[in-house]
Amino acid sequence: MVMMTMAERATAGAGSEDGSAMTMKRKGSAGRLAAAVLLALGCATGAFAQHADHAAGKTAAARPARPELGTSAAFGPDGVLYAVSKDGQHVVLQRSADGGTRWDASVIVNAEPEAISADGENRPKIAFAPDGSVLVSWTRPLAKPFTGEIRFARADTGQGFGSPITVHRDRQEITHRFETMTVTASGQVVLAWIDKRDLEVAQRAKRDYRGAAIYAAVSDDGGRTFRPEVKVGDHSCECCRIAIANDVDGLPLMLWRHVFEPNERDHALAKLGSDGTPGAVARATFDRWRVDACPHHGPSLAVSGDGTRHAVWFNEKDGEGRVFYGRLKDGRVEGQRTVGGERAAHADIAVGGERVAIVWKEFDGERTQLRAEVSDDNGGRFRSLSLAATDGASDQPQVIRRGAELLAFWRTRNEGMKGYWLR
Amino acid sequence: MKRLKNLLAAIVWMSAATSSANDFVPLDRAAATAVADPASHARPTIVALWSFECVHCKKNLKLFAEMAKAHPRLQLITIAAEPADDGLAAPLDRVGVTGKRFAYGDDSPEALAYALDAKWRGELPRTLLFDGRGTREAVSGVVAEAVVLRALGLQK
Repeated sequence: MVMMTMAERATAGAGSEDGSAMTMKRKGSAGRLAAAVLLALGCATGAFAQHADHAAGKTAAARPARPELGTSAAFGPDGVLYAVSKDGQHVVLQRSADGGTRWDASVIVNAEPEAISADGENRPKIAFAPDGSVLVSWTRPLAKPFTGEIRFARADTGQGFGSPITVHRDRQEITHRFETMTVTASGQVVLAWIDKRDLEVAQRAKRDYRGAAIYAAVSDDGGRTFRPEVKVGDHSCECCRIAIANDVDGLPLMLWRHVFEPNERDHALAKLGSDGTPGAVARATFDRWRVDACPHHGPSLAVSGDGTRHAVWFNEKDGEGRVFYGRLKDGRVEGQRTVGGERAAHADIAVGGERVAIVWKEFDGERTQLRAEVSDDNGGRFRSLSLAATDGASDQPQVIRRGAELLAFWRTRNEGMKGYWLR
Repeated sequence: MKRLKNLLAAIVWMSAATSSANDFVPLDRAAATAVADPASHARPTIVALWSFECVHCKKNLKLFAEMAKAHPRLQLITIAAEPADDGLAAPLDRVGVTGKRFAYGDDSPEALAYALDAKWRGELPRTLLFDGRGTREAVSGVVAEAVVLRALGLQK
């Protein structure tokens, strides 16, 4: 969600007008390149069968199956919708030319099978390099509980996916998980994740350490190699997805659930410089949810052309757990309000020109509803939409962008992957 | 002979313990509604919602296991907010959690969460505390023993 949105934003650039212009321009060169990539990928797939969510459900006759629906989608520079998800021990890529109604056969991203995280706050991510290469990241859980590695694979123009690499130099069997990905306006590939190396050091020294840390790695060559990772900030929450969005200058902003002293689970914001150096960590929300718990509920962030930082997040405030929308401005929140009802959850946000859209899911007592709010004036006024509903398990929804158009994307166990244009 | 009997008993107990490691009852909506209903509990009861990946859950589980040993009337029920994969029992066994163990079944996770506690938003740990006389209290996060004892009506 957060991340795909990012991917699309990255492709188009962070600004609304600029972004659209860039997308249009790229449809010429990069679009053709992406088509070539896909052609090559298509050849590589052969008879790999389309994976049906229902089939996965049926294998669970003896024992309930974990609904590993974690999926990310983004529009490529060719205007086609791409989605990455998990099928057994493979990350698979699918595309849809009609905005999510029909999907092509899956393409395998990692030829060698490996463990993949794809439930709750975990899901593979997809983005596109300026040359049209397809970039995919995921978390590979390791044998010990809570541990993992951040994995990355790219499909060069005209080629299938190369062997995945582990992004970080630190190879301890510890937490490197919950990764997010963006491509900056200058074409750098940025991955950020939750990392417990500092917690491990503290624990060995019998020192207290709140939460985990955020680390990031930057690639200057389209994901072929990554610079050594850098710490963005200490004391993140342990298991909430990280939001990443390009600022108006094209550099990546990260928003994550943080553990402020003593145990306030609010949000923090930081930006990476053009040389990959992290800027200061600033408190972004002020709900003061004091709890020693895992909310499993990360934020989302989108930056409009005038620099407005639109955010949605979940917090408990005044005893009520709610989804909030607000604009993050110089260490305060402007226009904070609740989104949806008492059970609204896992909201995502994206911008396209003057349009701002929020999607979320909300259980109504019987079914899980997919709902949206859309603003046509950069977040001034919003109108509400009901998009879909399902009886079974469902993934977190996301909003993704194609130029100035916004699409809600949602995968459910019963209905599969679907897109809903937000107009 | 007695030694052999003891040995056999130990083997039987160990194998029972081993098989019980995977002995999670799949939770459906009806069971979730029942376990969350104060009328279902005629004695002080802790219903502990947890998950394998929840770093904060372990503290509560350890506390509840100790409390269950110290208070024979106390009933401890655990519910893993996820299906029972291999190894799910380890965090419970490690701290000596006894009592009925549920794990999410095939029903929609959101429907199960709603049936358990309409105010619960997915954060873990979440604990439902019943005093056995019709009251129920729900609390998120790591809890203090005194708070739990008071809600259970077991305060000295």
